[in-house]
Amino acid sequence: MDLTIINADKVLDTSGLTCPMPLLKTKKTLKGMASGEILEILGTDPGSKNDIPDFGNKGGNQFLGYVDDADGVTKFYIKKG
Amino acid sequence: MESVNFWNSVKEETRKNYIAVFEEDWPAWLAGIFIAILAILIFLWQAPWGIAGGYRNWGDWFYYLIGFNSNRPNVPWLNSMSVTNFGLFVGALASALMSRQFQIRRAPAFEYIKGLVGGILMGAGAALAGGCNVGGFYTAIGVFSMGGYAMMFGLGVGAYIGLRYLLWEMEHLPPQMAIQMSSGTVKTPRINWPKVQPYIGGAIITAAVAAFYLYSLFDKTQIGGLLFFGLLIGLVMHRSRFCFVRAFRCPFMTGDAEMVRVVAMSLMVYGLGSAVIKWSYIQPDTMGVYQPFWLGSLLGGLIFGIGMLIAGGCASGTLWRIGEGHTKLVVTLIGFSLTNSMLLNILKKTGLGEKLGSGVYLPNVFTWYFGLPLFFIFLLFWALVAIWNEKTEKFVIF
Repeated sequence: MDLTIINADKVLDTSGLTCPMPLLKTKKTLKGMASGEILEILGTDPGSKNDIPDFGNKGGNQFLGYVDDADGVTKFYIKKG
Repeated sequence: MESVNFWNSVKEETRKNYIAVFEEDWPAWLAGIFIAILAILIFLWQAPWGIAGGYRNWGDWFYYLIGFNSNRPNVPWLNSMSVTNFGLFVGALASALMSRQFQIRRAPAFEYIKGLVGGILMGAGAALAGGCNVGGFYTAIGVFSMGGYAMMFGLGVGAYIGLRYLLWEMEHLPPQMAIQMSSGTVKTPRINWPKVQPYIGGAIITAAVAAFYLYSLFDKTQIGGLLFFGLLIGLVMHRSRFCFVRAFRCPFMTGDAEMVRVVAMSLMVYGLGSAVIKWSYIQPDTMGVYQPFWLGSLLGGLIFGIGMLIAGGCASGTLWRIGEGHTKLVVTLIGFSLTNSMLLNILKKTGLGEKLGSGVYLPNVFTWYFGLPLFFIFLLFWALVAIWNEKTEKFVIF
């Protein structure tokens, strides 16, 4: 899937926050979304690159991938199951 | 032509291995084995591994320098745990540079307050438990001190309470302003940092190895060795993002059991090594067994557990994350050191410390013959419950 043209239904910005806050906020935000919607998460914690993909594939959700932005922010995409 | 091809393939292989070692994250289980081996080596080299003692030394120095305490503490570069800590920090810093992940990382203002409060709680907890998540829990269980189990239980309950607080904070406090990473006009840096970083990292590792020889030259080989072991632990922890907090937090948060499995397995390796050392008296058999069983360890674990959730890092995690450039955890380290040093002095002066319990040696309670199987069964049981919880999410609160 081409992540650069993805159209997210919701954006969650966790820049500057560290483990476990990005993951907690991701879990909370996903709970309030409808099946099939896509969540985009912005983050700067290097730990998120392990946490979010692992978590994103749990509970029927699907982790779509991540892209590194030029200014040190990573964008993660999860499709709610 | 032959030789050109040869050198090209050497270069290519070196590049591939560099990427495998310094760019891709190491699996946690591998790090668990490495850390257990390093902990055994530190035990053989001098005495069981700990971290809080080093923080305490730094706190002692602060109170001594402001005239609050008249006893001159041991100098930080000759204090065993302080030197191990310094090695751990340097190892993580070098590793972050070699993997081009070093960056001064700022956090929203409220996160610094949480870092400070978490540090204070961890400092207090470590004072009561006679050690942090390493000295009071990991090493304690590894060297067969009963206090380790009491602290482990406390850490679990504390992590649960800490997670409850984080959830409450998320629901009730206004979301924090995210840090703006790009500050409008981006200056073109004069130095190409991503390219330079690995060389600085390499230079730091070389300097740390040179420091070992320097220690040796001044007849302090043992202390120098601790710097080297600390360096390796820092490297392993950063490359794998090793996080003890996860083992206690994730069963409640996502149900993920990976770190429970890793810590349990790492402790089995550590215990195996330390059983060999202790049963055959290579080191005194009750060495490292001083954690106050059970009140001090339990209470300390509880407070430490809350603190590590709020700060977002334990004693070892704080050190390696500072090496990666997280400024929030510098505040945590200061809170930890100052509280730990002060509370330990109070406990000593008032005599309250003795009421918290004393070191109990597992083989003295159960004998080696029953104690060792119990040790393995207990750890296996912990891992199995966590794996069962991963499937059923029975303990997941959110």
